Amino acid sequence: MEISVVNLKKYYGEKQVLDIEELTIEKGKITGLIGPNGSGKSTLMNIISGIDLDFFGTIRYDGKPLDRSIYMNMTLVFQKPYLFRRRVYENIEYPLKVRGMDKGERIKKVENIIKRFEIEELREKKAHRLSGGESQKVSLARALIFEPKLLLLDEPTSNIDPESIKIMEREILRFNQETKGTVLIVTHNIEQSKRLCHNIIYLENGKVGYLE
Amino acid sequence: MDYILEGFREALKLLISFDKEVYDIITLSLFVSTTATIIASLICIPLGIHLGLKEFKGKRAFSRILYTSMSVPSVIVGLVVAIALSRRGPLGGLNLLYTPKAMIIAQTLLVTPLILGLTYSLSKNRGKEIEKVGTSLGAGRGDIIVLTIKELKLDLLVNVVTAFSRAISEVGAVMIVGGNIKNRTRVITTTISMMNSMGDYPMAIALGLVLLLMSFVINSLIYTYSGED
Ligand SMILES: Nc1ncnc2c1ncn2[C@@H]1O[C@H](COP(=O)(O)OP(=O)(O)OP(=O)(O)O)[C@@H](O)[C@H]1O
Ligand SMILES: [Mg+2]
Repeated sequence: MEISVVNLKKYYGEKQVLDIEELTIEKGKITGLIGPNGSGKSTLMNIISGIDLDFFGTIRYDGKPLDRSIYMNMTLVFQKPYLFRRRVYENIEYPLKVRGMDKGERIKKVENIIKRFEIEELREKKAHRLSGGESQKVSLARALIFEPKLLLLDEPTSNIDPESIKIMEREILRFNQETKGTVLIVTHNIEQSKRLCHNIIYLENGKVGYLE
Repeated sequence: MDYILEGFREALKLLISFDKEVYDIITLSLFVSTTATIIASLICIPLGIHLGLKEFKGKRAFSRILYTSMSVPSVIVGLVVAIALSRRGPLGGLNLLYTPKAMIIAQTLLVTPLILGLTYSLSKNRGKEIEKVGTSLGAGRGDIIVLTIKELKLDLLVNVVTAFSRAISEVGAVMIVGGNIKNRTRVITTTISMMNSMGDYPMAIALGLVLLLMSFVINSLIYTYSGED
C-alpha cells in the first residue's frame, strides 16, 4: 500500500509536534523512520495507522482516504506492546478471529507463525505475564498473522536479545518479500536500518529530511 | 444486657431450624436484588463502555451528571417508581405496585446509574488503550466492546458486586414500592426495620447476621478471585 502525506500538522495543545509538507511511503518497500527522541516518530505512526484522527492535513492510502477496508489491511505494532489478558496463542489468533476466519485455518496459521518465531514455549502462557522482549515478539507475530498490506512498526526490537532480533528481522524481511507488504519501521539502530530498509526517512522536530 | 444475648440465641435458633418465614425473606431479597443487578448490568456495561470510549460534545457535562446520579437516594427512586405504578399513574394499568416485580424495577433503576457510572469511568480511563490495539488489529465497534469487557472483566465484576451490595442493603425503594407485605414483598432490610420498630429483635438480628455474612462472602470471593489473576 502506498502512503502519501500532504500538509500534515499535529498539535498537542499549543505545541506543534508534526509539520510535514509532503511525504510518500513507497509501496512494497521497507522504509525506515529515524530521528531523535521526541521528534514525532510515534505520533506519525499513530496518525498513519488511523488511531489518532486529531490532526490537520491529508493522508491517502493507494490514493484513497481512510475507510474500514483500509483499517482491515494495516496494523501498528506499538512502541509499548499491549497484549490481551489471555494466552499467547489467543493473542496471535485475535486478528484472524475478527476477520471471521474459520477455526481450522486459524489453527494452521497460528501454529505456523509460532514455529517461525520460535516461541513454542510461550504458546500457553498468559500474555500479560510475559517479559518486555517476549511481549514484543508476540506482538509482531500477532501483527504479521493476517498479512497486512501496510505494517507499521514502532521500535519493534528495542528490548530484544541479539538472537531474537535475528528472528524478528528475518520475519519482517520474509513478510515484505513474500507478500509485497509495505513496511514503515521506526528504529534507533542504524545497523538495523541498513539490514532491513530500502529507504530512510529522517525526522527532526516534526520535520522530514530524506537520507540516502 | 440479657435481652441482647437472648436475641442472639433466638436468632441462631431461627437460622439453624431453617425457619420458613426467615428463609423466604432471604430468598426474595436475593431474587429481587440479583435480578435487578443482572438487568442493569446487561444494559449498562456495554453502554458504559461505549460512552466511555466515544468522544462526543458535552462529554464533561455528561460525566458530571452521571457521577452525581450515582448516589441518588433510594427513597427518591422508590417514590418515582411508586408514583408511576400507582393506580392513577402512567403505568397504573399494569397493577404492579406492591409486587416483587415493582421492587425489581425500583432496584434496577437504583443501580443503573451506579453500574453505568462505574463502567463509564473505567472505560474512559483504561479502555482507550484497548480500543487502540483492537482497532489496529481490525476490530470493529462491536468487537471492541466485547474485547474491553473481557480485558476489564475483574474490575467490571467488582463494580457489579458493588451494585448488588447497594441493592440488597437498601431499604427505601423496596419499602415504598413493595410495601413490606407479609409473605409477599418482605425482604431482609424491610423486615429488620419493621421488627426493630416493633421491638421484636430475634428475627431482626437473624436477618442482620445473614446480611453481614453475605457481604463478607461476596467480598472474600472477589478478593480471592482478583488475587488469582
Ligand atoms: N499525549 C501527548 N500529549 C502531549 N504531548 C505529547 C503526547 N504524546 C507525545 N507528546 C509530545 O510530542 C512529541 C513527539 O512525541 P513522540 O512520542 O512522537 O516522539 P518519538 O519520536 O516517538 O520519540 P521516542 O524516540 O522517544 O519514541 C514529544 O515532544 C512528546 O513529548
Ligand atoms: Mg516513539
